[in-house]
Amino acid sequence: MTRREPSLFARLARRISLVLGIGAALLVSAAWYYAETAADKAYDRLLVGAALQMAESLSVENGALSVRLPTSAFELLGLAERDRIFYRVIDTQGKTVTGYDDLQSPELTAGNRDALSITEGVYKGEEVRIARATRVLADPSVAGHAYVIVAQTNEARSALTRELTLRATILVLVMSLLAFGGAMLAIRYALQPVERLGAAVRRRDPHDLTPVSVDVPRELDPFVGSINHFMGRLNERVDLLQRFIADAAHQIRTPLTALSAQIDLLGQDKLDKAGRQHFERVQQRTGELARLTNQLLSHAMVIHRADSIQLEPISLVDVARRAYRAAIPITVDPDIVISFEAPDDRPFVLGDAVSLREAIVNVIDNALRHGTDQRLEVRVRSDAIDAYVEVEDDGPGIPPEGWEKATQRFATSKSHEGSSGLGFAIAQEVVNAHGGTLGFRARNERGFTVILTLPLYKGLAK
Amino acid sequence: MIRLCITVFALLSFASQAMAVEDNRTQFPALQLETGRLTIYSTTDLAAMKPLIDEFQKSSPGIAIDYIEYLTNELHALANEACRKDQPLGDLLLSSSVDQLLKLANDGCAASHTSPETAGVADWANWRDEVFGFTYEPAVFVYNTRKVPPAEVPRTHVELADLLRERLDYYRGRVGTYDIRLSGIGYLLAFYDARQTNTVFGRLLESMARASAVARCCTGEILEEVASGRLYIGYNMLGSYAYDAARKHPDLRIVVPRDYTLVLSRGALVPKSAVRGDLGAQFLDFLLSERGQEIARSNAFYFSETGGLPPDVDGPQNLKESGIAQPIRIGPALLAVQDRAQRQRFIEDWSRSLIELNSPEWTRE
Repeated sequence: MTRREPSLFARLARRISLVLGIGAALLVSAAWYYAETAADKAYDRLLVGAALQMAESLSVENGALSVRLPTSAFELLGLAERDRIFYRVIDTQGKTVTGYDDLQSPELTAGNRDALSITEGVYKGEEVRIARATRVLADPSVAGHAYVIVAQTNEARSALTRELTLRATILVLVMSLLAFGGAMLAIRYALQPVERLGAAVRRRDPHDLTPVSVDVPRELDPFVGSINHFMGRLNERVDLLQRFIADAAHQIRTPLTALSAQIDLLGQDKLDKAGRQHFERVQQRTGELARLTNQLLSHAMVIHRADSIQLEPISLVDVARRAYRAAIPITVDPDIVISFEAPDDRPFVLGDAVSLREAIVNVIDNALRHGTDQRLEVRVRSDAIDAYVEVEDDGPGIPPEGWEKATQRFATSKSHEGSSGLGFAIAQEVVNAHGGTLGFRARNERGFTVILTLPLYKGLAK
Repeated sequence: MIRLCITVFALLSFASQAMAVEDNRTQFPALQLETGRLTIYSTTDLAAMKPLIDEFQKSSPGIAIDYIEYLTNELHALANEACRKDQPLGDLLLSSSVDQLLKLANDGCAASHTSPETAGVADWANWRDEVFGFTYEPAVFVYNTRKVPPAEVPRTHVELADLLRERLDYYRGRVGTYDIRLSGIGYLLAFYDARQTNTVFGRLLESMARASAVARCCTGEILEEVASGRLYIGYNMLGSYAYDAARKHPDLRIVVPRDYTLVLSRGALVPKSAVRGDLGAQFLDFLLSERGQEIARSNAFYFSETGGLPPDVDGPQNLKESGIAQPIRIGPALLAVQDRAQRQRFIEDWSRSLIELNSPEWTRE
């Protein structure tokens, strides 16, 4: 996948800003429309008022139409401070009495005799609003319709429209920004559980295949469900595999024991020298096979117990001593000096005694087989935080660059010596399951040490 | 307003083709190398404008100024026609008949001008940034101290009307005012008088008619006659001219009426078709500037909106604060004043009351 999908946040932000933008544009257009209407209405009233006042001032004097244009009408129009004013008074004969002779009233020709009318128009090259008021005169000498036409330029209207629109625009913009900001915060807040879930899954131990238990909103339930379902299936597969290995090892052990016994019964007497050599090798290989099978079983058991056994406070010294006894065979070379040291305060750890014993047995066994030359020491000690089981031998030890590899399954540098390579792996598995570590201390004048570190159990109050 | 005869005729003066009359043109050559020529059409007496023009040329020595004087109505007719034909007529129009300037602006003959100076102009003296009022001139009474005894000096419009009624014989033919048929400013002031108080103005007009008031075309003539004692009282004189005359004739006294005082602001307008509208605007800015206003107060028009009355003027200490000042607002209301039917009717009424009722010996000046 070369192109990254845009983030949810970006998608939502884009769409919300688009919607807000369109909405703001619509609102501003509406505001402009309303502002224009409002400005027109407001100033049309002035215009009509002035026209009516002028029409009212028409009278018949001595048989002729007389005009006394009221100053107040102009002052009324003057409320639109910067606007020019044009007017024309037309008598019943259609002649101009006063004002601008060329000011046209469109309706006049159309024969529309409404009392009042307002239109847009152009006069002297300027856009104007034209109002026409009609005065019906019924004097015997002057009878008919007289008209007053008043026109005013649009500066004040435009200014009012602009001002109203500007204010509405500012409001709309502020509101849009608030809405956008609020939406962004809300999106961030709403997306938090996704991050939390991701972090929870990321933080998990690779061996932990239990269902994810993070509180998520309802919308994420299917997602978490899928993860858990997948992990459940994976867990089943792993269980199946482990059971298969355990079963296989178990199945192999029985014929293997029989095989060993048969070999022992064979006797070496009738064999010539070369035959005896082969026989010894068969014997040795069978022993290795038996040990490997035992380790596989032990490994399977350790893993099984780690998943299922409830940990309880145990004395590390007791466990270590039992392991020490189990690991040292009766047939051990009497030249080797073997010792077990333990403190009196018996450090307690929270653990599974069986697994721990298995781990320590494997470490001691490993040391006996591959390390010990003259001396093997098993020590238990503790400090304020941790308890330690140390297995020290005077053998060559493992160089630091091989430490990491040593704890991997079937990955020992000494396979030619018949090592199965499962010992450290089992020990590490167990110690990790107890929250501890398996470590090495580089070889010094005394020897090479393997250290099992386990957290001290603190809940044991006297 | 007096048409001043011009004595200076520079040889350079290019023949002004459109102008048939040349005796009303005064030329102020540039103090330095001429960079521009500003043409001002005005209704203001040259004597009043000269200090302002001199001061302007000090700060802008490269500008030569042609100053052309007309009567208000003549100037209006000229400007109106020039605007209609879209011909240039000067770079700045100055007129005391602001109603005529306003009409010109309303007809689209004016160019808009804004500057820091115009921003300082009072609201009532600025329309559309096209017509600006640059003076503050109360309409006052003048009288001759030798002819009018101190006890009889009228201080309000009503007192004047009563005085004429009570001392009819003494004042018969001795009161002068504008002939509003000829003088635009006279018409404007009379119209606003009528608007101000119809009854008082009616009474006053009637009293003046009974007293056979004399109507003259221009302030100057009336002031001269009052100063010489041929007339006793002048009504509705522009304060600036009256004060100038009073300084020259100790017998002439000024009363700022205490009931109400119309205040006229002389208008200025830059025509749209001006050749050097920039120079017109520059001169306008100078008129409105602090320096220009100061010169106007001390040397040209004597009255100002903010300051007190000049010395020896009978009236309230400060026109504006006393609340009796009624400035003629430069705004659309002046269109009603300029309406031709209105004007015709008003002048007819006025003539009927003031002239037809009275001595047939003078019907028209």
